[in-house]
Amino acid sequence: MVRKAKSKVKMTSLKKAGTARRNKGRKKAAQNKTSVLRRLFRLSMLLLGVGIGLGVPWAIWLDIQIRSEFDGRKWDLPSRVYARPLSLYEGKAISRRTLLAELEAAGYRQSASAGVPGSFSVSGYRFDIHRRAFTFEDGAEPATRFQLQLRNNTVNSLRGDSSITGQGLVRLDPAEIASIYPLHDEDRTLVVLQDVPELLVTGLQAVEDRQFKHHHGVALRGIGRAMLANVKAGRTVQGGSTLTQQLVKNYFLTSERTLIRKVNEAIMAVLLEWHYDKAQILVAYINEIFLGQQGRHSIHGFGRASKFYFDRPLKDLNAQQIALLVGMVRGASLYNPRRNPELSMQRRNQVLDIFGSTGLISDDEVATAKSRPLGVTDKPRSGGSRYPAFVDLVRRQLKRDYRPSDLSNEGLRIFTTLAPSEQEYAQQAVSEGLDDLQQRGLPADLQGALVLVDVASGEVRALVGDRVAGRNYFNRALDARRQIGSVIKPLVYLLALEHVGDYSLITPVVDEPIYLRQADGSVWSPVNYDHKSHGEMPLLEALIHSYNQATVQLGLKIGVVHLIRKIRQLGVKAAVPAVPATLLGAVELTPIEVAQMYQSLAAGGYSVPLRSVTAVQTARGELLSRYPLRLMPLEHRAAVAVLNFALTRVVEEGTARNLHALVGNDSLIAGKTGTTNERRDSWFVGYTRNRVAVAWVGRDDNKPAGVTGSNAAMRVWAALFRQLPVSAVDLRMPDGANFVWVDMQHNARTDPSCADAVQIPFIDGTEPVSTTACLDKLDRKNRKSLWRKWFEGDN
Amino acid sequence: MKAITSPLCLLVPVLLVACSSQPPTSIEDREVTTRVRAPAKEESAGVQVYSLQNPAVRQLTAQAEGAERAGDLDLATGYLERALRIQPLDPQLLQYMAELKLQKEDYQQALYFAARSYDTGPRVGEICSRNWRTISVAREHLRDATGANEAEARATQCMNTRPKAF
Repeated sequence: MVRKAKSKVKMTSLKKAGTARRNKGRKKAAQNKTSVLRRLFRLSMLLLGVGIGLGVPWAIWLDIQIRSEFDGRKWDLPSRVYARPLSLYEGKAISRRTLLAELEAAGYRQSASAGVPGSFSVSGYRFDIHRRAFTFEDGAEPATRFQLQLRNNTVNSLRGDSSITGQGLVRLDPAEIASIYPLHDEDRTLVVLQDVPELLVTGLQAVEDRQFKHHHGVALRGIGRAMLANVKAGRTVQGGSTLTQQLVKNYFLTSERTLIRKVNEAIMAVLLEWHYDKAQILVAYINEIFLGQQGRHSIHGFGRASKFYFDRPLKDLNAQQIALLVGMVRGASLYNPRRNPELSMQRRNQVLDIFGSTGLISDDEVATAKSRPLGVTDKPRSGGSRYPAFVDLVRRQLKRDYRPSDLSNEGLRIFTTLAPSEQEYAQQAVSEGLDDLQQRGLPADLQGALVLVDVASGEVRALVGDRVAGRNYFNRALDARRQIGSVIKPLVYLLALEHVGDYSLITPVVDEPIYLRQADGSVWSPVNYDHKSHGEMPLLEALIHSYNQATVQLGLKIGVVHLIRKIRQLGVKAAVPAVPATLLGAVELTPIEVAQMYQSLAAGGYSVPLRSVTAVQTARGELLSRYPLRLMPLEHRAAVAVLNFALTRVVEEGTARNLHALVGNDSLIAGKTGTTNERRDSWFVGYTRNRVAVAWVGRDDNKPAGVTGSNAAMRVWAALFRQLPVSAVDLRMPDGANFVWVDMQHNARTDPSCADAVQIPFIDGTEPVSTTACLDKLDRKNRKSLWRKWFEGDN
Repeated sequence: MKAITSPLCLLVPVLLVACSSQPPTSIEDREVTTRVRAPAKEESAGVQVYSLQNPAVRQLTAQAEGAERAGDLDLATGYLERALRIQPLDPQLLQYMAELKLQKEDYQQALYFAARSYDTGPRVGEICSRNWRTISVAREHLRDATGANEAEARATQCMNTRPKAF
């Protein structure tokens, strides 16, 4: 019993112990469970903490990155740069070719009826032009339609709405030559949403991101679809990136395909959508997306690509052209229409099908578009603007003359002086002229520059800085600082003529050897081009034939210091060495500086600072600033007028005597050739009544090039003026100078009927006092010598 | 005090508005008319030499004259610059520009444009007289009394001097 009881107790105690154990186990399990949960909780808290601790700073860092990138590249409305508006009126000299070039540059389209603004029709020499409405620098004018008839390269009649054309004057809305950000050096062809064809906006979404309007930067459905396609294919065949993600990817251009990069991209895309609206993102995408490569330069944005592939503004593209560019988003290199035309065509047609299936264009339009060729230009145009060298000048003058606060305004309207047709002719003259020189045996690596300026206003009409059109990595017209050679000589003679009482054009000067000991002990002894000395001769003849020894003799009497002062007066700020060699042009100037010097001469001493900008307006058309016409007359303008006469003789019988034949025009032209040592540089500066132009030809490495003023630069100059209306130089003498009949051999006045009589301008008080009789009289017929031709010309 | 200032407070803005909306000085009363154009016209009884102007230039000149009468000298200058792009050496346009510069009190430029007009012009008759009268007025404003008198004397010679370069 006791045992039983003991065993019962034992059992009970065992039971108790079991229960206790069980309870303890349960408790322990519960405790374990709690502990796991707690651990899990702790872990998750830890992870969350770590996540927050690392993730939040990471997200913030990504946010900073993407915002700074977007804000840095979020281009506001660019400034529009306009050419000068072409004025048309009865009596205006303009050829049919030039008028067509101007219309083309201003974006006018030829049509059968000229029914809409911006179009024209032409039949022979009769033009029907529908001018667009435009806010010019002095006010807005409505669209208008007018008819004009050309005859003998002149506007013969002009008819239209008399309230606009008045007494026969109408101006075309100017060509838009560039979109720039005056404070940035980047030259891009950027577009605003209004200028983007609707089909591009909708088409991009149809092909690349149909959920664009609705997602917040990342489209999960798109990612899922892409993953499925990739798994099926066993490789990456489809991307699920939204336009926003693609934009982010484009900002940090990397081809790396890692998970971490994809995650970063997705986070940044969400952040972008958080900060900016859809329109801002879309415009950024359209302006940023990579669409090709040209040498070292990437082609970014549809605006730039449109010009690069089709040479036309984005707003003018048709459906197949838009499809081609949209197709290239997936692989700009793979679908490059110039390199892989077949693949490009396939992709374009695929995109056109998508346009059709999404209802963006009709089936007929798809069929028509697919039947068209790719339509890309053979040669890509480099740079954003068609006239990058001129736009470079505009940018520099804006920075020089305007406050940064003015230039930071959005969407400025910048009115410039460029004449598109003259610019085209100038570029052709350089490009084709240098090709021609190459065929004549001159080096293949010759380069050239050309500056064309309106004489009276100093407005730059054309500027060429490179042999290749549209290229502007080195703007020689503004930056090539080269010795100018004999182009400087007229200033030496001008100084002499200013010494009233000492010199006239018939004052004898001596062309004989000269030896000058220089500061370093060496002897400088200039020689003439023909290695001969020509003895005593009238001052005029020494200039006409550009004799070095006579010029140095004369210059030394006047003083190099005065020459340097004269160069300064003519608007050149560059350093000029005070050595005798400066008298022969051992001074380095740029073509535009030479143009500034000669504008003063060509305008009879009425110097005007060269300008490329006439006015700047705000985006709303309010005038911000005008560059008014300002004269800076030189003293001794009578001497300038006498010198101008002498420079016409250089063309009639001196070093530039072949010019008339090259230009194909007998009108009086003034000019001066320039060649530097070892034929490194060729210069020609010449002017008519209305235009002064400077041409330079040489090699970039400054090695001997085999060029002379007349065999290279003068040919380029002539090629330009063959295309322009040429009017004779104005040789009317100002107050203080007059023409006098003289016998140059005897340095005396003479009777106009004498055989040796020539009519030459003199500053009052410098004309010869004595008179000589003549033995030989001219008959009336022979009197029309070359000397007098200018007088009986079309002055 | 209050009674005095209140009407003043009302009066000042009224006066300011009145000042800002004052019409430009009548062209007949401007210095350019009284000292340049009118005397030159009065003296010019003899043969006058005028350049032939293109109809487009005439139109732009008329527009410039309209803007000048309305007191908008900047607009007038703009029209004239357009005309000068068509006929850059027209002595009448250059002289007109000189007269606009005179009105804008840009005396140095007035003097330069008048000199350019004289150099390219007939140097006789009304235009010659306007050239020298402009130069005289400009020099006077530039405190060159001797030069102003010399120019005045040259103006009187315009009516009896034959042109030199023709």
